[in-house]
Amino acid sequence: MTILDARNISKRYGGLAALTDVDMTVSAGEFVAIIGPNGAGKSTLLNVFTGLVVPDSGAVLLAGNDVTRHATNRRIKAGLGRTFQHGRTFPRLTVLENVMVGAAICPTLGERALRESALQIIEQMGLADIADNAIRTLSYGHRRMVELARAVACNPKVLLLDEPAAGLNSAEVAQLVKRLAHLREKHQLAVVLIEHNMGMVMRLAERIVVLNFGSKIAEGAPAEIQANPAVLSAYLGEGYAHARV
Amino acid sequence: MADFFQLAINGFAIGGVYALAAIGFVIVYEATGVVNFAAGQFVMFGTFAGVAALVNAQLPWPIAYAAALFAMAAFGVLFFLLVYWPLKLSPAVTVIIGTVAISITMQNAALLVFGSWPVRIPSPLEGMTVEVGGAVVSVHALLTMAITALLVGGLWFLLHRTSFGIGMRAVAQDVQAARLMGLKVGRVLAMSWVLGALLAGAAGLLLGPMWFADVNMGDPVALKAFAATIIGGFGSLPGAVVGGIFVGLSEVLGASYISSAYKDLISFGIMIGFLFVRPQGMFGEKIQDRG
Amino acid sequence: MRILRSFGLALCILAAGGVLSLVLPEYHLRLLNLSVVASIAVIGLNIAFGYVGLISLGHAAFVGLGAYIMAISTTRLGLSPWLAMPAAVAATAAFAVAIGLPLLRLKGHYLALATLGLNVSFVIVASNWLEMTGGTNGIAQIPSFSILHHAISDERSFLWLALVSLTLVVVVATLLHHSRYGRALISVRDDELAAEMTGIDTTRLKIMGFAFSAAYAAFAGCLFASHVRFISPEDFSYAHSINYLAMLIVGGEGTIVGAILGSVLLTFLPEWLRFLGNAYLALFGLLVFLVLVFLPTGIVGLRKFVRGPSRVDRSVQAAAEVRP
Repeated sequence: MTILDARNISKRYGGLAALTDVDMTVSAGEFVAIIGPNGAGKSTLLNVFTGLVVPDSGAVLLAGNDVTRHATNRRIKAGLGRTFQHGRTFPRLTVLENVMVGAAICPTLGERALRESALQIIEQMGLADIADNAIRTLSYGHRRMVELARAVACNPKVLLLDEPAAGLNSAEVAQLVKRLAHLREKHQLAVVLIEHNMGMVMRLAERIVVLNFGSKIAEGAPAEIQANPAVLSAYLGEGYAHARV
Repeated sequence: MADFFQLAINGFAIGGVYALAAIGFVIVYEATGVVNFAAGQFVMFGTFAGVAALVNAQLPWPIAYAAALFAMAAFGVLFFLLVYWPLKLSPAVTVIIGTVAISITMQNAALLVFGSWPVRIPSPLEGMTVEVGGAVVSVHALLTMAITALLVGGLWFLLHRTSFGIGMRAVAQDVQAARLMGLKVGRVLAMSWVLGALLAGAAGLLLGPMWFADVNMGDPVALKAFAATIIGGFGSLPGAVVGGIFVGLSEVLGASYISSAYKDLISFGIMIGFLFVRPQGMFGEKIQDRG
Repeated sequence: MRILRSFGLALCILAAGGVLSLVLPEYHLRLLNLSVVASIAVIGLNIAFGYVGLISLGHAAFVGLGAYIMAISTTRLGLSPWLAMPAAVAATAAFAVAIGLPLLRLKGHYLALATLGLNVSFVIVASNWLEMTGGTNGIAQIPSFSILHHAISDERSFLWLALVSLTLVVVVATLLHHSRYGRALISVRDDELAAEMTGIDTTRLKIMGFAFSAAYAAFAGCLFASHVRFISPEDFSYAHSINYLAMLIVGGEGTIVGAILGSVLLTFLPEWLRFLGNAYLALFGLLVFLVLVFLPTGIVGLRKFVRGPSRVDRSVQAAAEVRP
């Protein structure tokens, strides 16, 4: 079943085509990665999904409903979740309170139930011992985990992750991969991942979409993408050789 | 018709003063990012620098005006060192409240020194009038318009045709890049405060003979300058000029043709209207990134 | 736990007020009353500014709107103050929603200047709409509140009314702070985009916070009107808005304790500095400026020197660090 369906998305900034006629679908529970060189339009595509950017043409369908003109918060309520490229948490709230802001998406939960459900997610994300800490006392890696936990607390059907591994050390990346695999299993959520860390992409993704200069140049299983000459020349060459080591 | 003409001249003259105050405010904002809520008190200080030199010290007027402007420039440096510098890393809100706090201090310091009794500073052109098309117009008003035009022209020349001005615009656009290019950023920032203080001083000196010099005059001037800035467009120099004249005209014409009680409401109403409909004003920046 | 602490704070307020009401002379009682009323307005401002981050330089206009509605409906329509007050609070909140819809699209100094314009416009209207407001002559003989035919008109009994009101306001504000709405409000100031990304309708929330803050202001305005029993446009000039903001920042923005401390301190400061005569206000500005430079988290920030950093300190400092 298709959860997220983007059709013929185009977006121009002046003379620059950020996205040209991009199609993309995500099925329930699927793990899709979007890769491409810097400036290929990956983040713009996520912005179109989440409503931060209104496309010049094309449509975004969420669970079959056209949400192209809907405000961000409505899309989130309809099952979209997202983290940002550099991690954005609420610094004046504690870890627990950050996650509770996400969990509050469910309007019927009382204060106690909110706390319970947030604590459960915090536990799953391995943040239990820092639940009452202020954000500013946390490492960058922990902050990004808190952001992820907050997004998960919104109970999304599709989770959009914008370079979640950027800036993390290798131990933290390994943790992240483990948590993501666990989260998918536990919540049956679909994931759309933008990532430069090819090792992570190849390990997690079931399908890969490759963007270059705002256009989709390839799509397929990791093995196909690795063998695709257009992709290799556009992007993978250096990065992939590195990831194979 | 003669009445209208006379009112329009007065509107242009007072509008020119507002424009100078607004430009002083905008120059500082563009270079330093500070929204200076003490801008009105700068103008008041300018007027009272004139009072001190002309009325108290009885200096001949060219020397008195030069002394007053020199005092304002020195005050600009002082403000840069004692107010701007300690707050330069603070969040925008703190800076706003900081300049508001200092504005209270400035107003009451003036009250301590000069007392609450309004003083009138004479114009060098005291009582001189000319008849233009049947309307009697004070020469001071005409001179105010001329000086405003001259200062605006000079400022344009300074900002676009001198290396100092170009450096200043560079700092306004990107401090880091300007620093890498070897510009002495601190000096440029200080100069922007000096320039702001000088323009406010000129506004104050021109305003002195039109209004009474009163230590409470800063707030009304500031409010008009803010309205002019919003209407013209935040951060835009041509906007500050057009906005200032617009506010001056709407005040003078509004007072005689609509209602003198609600004359101020006209400019604020237009300001709020602009904020709602076109917050970037007539000539201003797009507001997504700033603010 | 934290909620319990707030009830503790409320009890402290009542106890301290009770003791003070016995020992203070009449004139100081009057100042104390004024400071309690100001606290209520400043706790309201803390919701708009401390939580949501809306820089309002027009808070006094909402205090004034509440006070005028109260004054007009009691003196002209003969309404009981007990009925006039909720009406004034509701009407002011409704006004805040109406004005907030277009206004709150603005940010930072645009919003500051727009709210300043709003405050100035309010004073101009209040000064000139003679039939309704009495112009600069103001409105006199506003009735006091009364309970069982006992008029709360002397300073000592008004102190009790004010303290009970403050207690109520503190409890409501604390409950709000630690509810989903409070966290949502705080998250909007910390990162509007990220807040939107958790399904929060940030526009609606900002308007809600603004309206709530205006309701607090109107409540303070009603108390003020029935305390002083005479209001004029001067009482609500934008200088008062600035004073409220100064109270909040000197006390420690983002905290309820800070809002109260700042209000009490800045109401009594003129009294303590009376020996300075006219130099007082010049020094006042300087003091506020020095607090901004050396104590950016306000008086509550001083706590870290007394004992280890508390929860409040942490959150306030974090806020101070993060703001652009």
